[in-house]
Amino acid sequence: MPAQPFTSPVEDSVPRVDNKVAVGENLDFQRKWWKFERAIWFFFFLILIADVLGAFGRGWLSKARQSDSAKTLTLDYEHIARASTPSIMTFNFGPNAIHDGHIQVYVSDSLVKPLGAQRISPQPAVSALGNGGITYTFDATQLPATVQIALEPSFPGRHYFRVQVVGGQPIEANIFVVP
Amino acid sequence: MALFVIFRAAFGYLFLVLMVRIVGRRPGKQLTPFEFVLIFYLGGLTLTGMVGNEVSLINAVTQILTVALCHYGLAWLRFRFDAFAQLLDGTPLILLENKSWRTETLSHMRIQDDDVMDMAREQGLPSLDKIDTAILEAFGEITIIPLEDDEEEDK
Repeated sequence: MPAQPFTSPVEDSVPRVDNKVAVGENLDFQRKWWKFERAIWFFFFLILIADVLGAFGRGWLSKARQSDSAKTLTLDYEHIARASTPSIMTFNFGPNAIHDGHIQVYVSDSLVKPLGAQRISPQPAVSALGNGGITYTFDATQLPATVQIALEPSFPGRHYFRVQVVGGQPIEANIFVVP
Repeated sequence: MALFVIFRAAFGYLFLVLMVRIVGRRPGKQLTPFEFVLIFYLGGLTLTGMVGNEVSLINAVTQILTVALCHYGLAWLRFRFDAFAQLLDGTPLILLENKSWRTETLSHMRIQDDDVMDMAREQGLPSLDKIDTAILEAFGEITIIPLEDDEEEDK
């Protein structure tokens, strides 16, 4: 015996009025939706303004500057960065940073791993591992002197890092990486 | 991280559904070249964020499966709950009835009388006064119901 199909009677889900076509319009819902649309356009506009200002990185609000107490090291970086997007961390060295023609700067491992340090400019003369990070040694003659590290964070989230000129005070901070 | 791949795909799909719903209800047959640009551009930009720099085959397969699951989930919710279907698609809206424009609907939906006339012409109606009802359907097309002959004579 062939299988029988399942059936149910055909009924109008939307009632007909005055024998006119049944449209199923719901103006109450639609008016609420239009209100929601207006609110969400405003919200989108705010997001764009926040983005231009740098609330999601790469703008005025995302830039940060920190120094140690003796101003041996001043760090310019983006405290809000975007995942898989390059950002530059600049080390500005101050008085007492140069010892015997060298500047030695320590950076914690977190700058290399989650924050994705891609390259360092200029290239250090020596890199030494240890103490949960890397100590770079640069040949230096006189101030001003700067070093740049190009970062490209892989993962969103809050990432702590620590940097210091060897012999100076450490600078500890966080970079918040947005997706 | 694998979870991020899935999250990005799901977010991209759901965000695009929301954007298309908000940007306007004129896809499909009524798509103008201006709207084609919008749809392709939105799709292209979403793709950049979804794929990122992970271009492996397994990444593509995972993301396709995620999008398929999200789509299945939305379709199931739409089928199961009328309120959800209304939220996802909207409801049909009357644009013209009893020889009067619904001006509030036209302005909110950014539809001009010319758009209705285009559809009327397609059905062989020479003028707007031959239209009984014009409806903007939830799927974006404008349906024209012509006046019946006896109805026309009465009026």
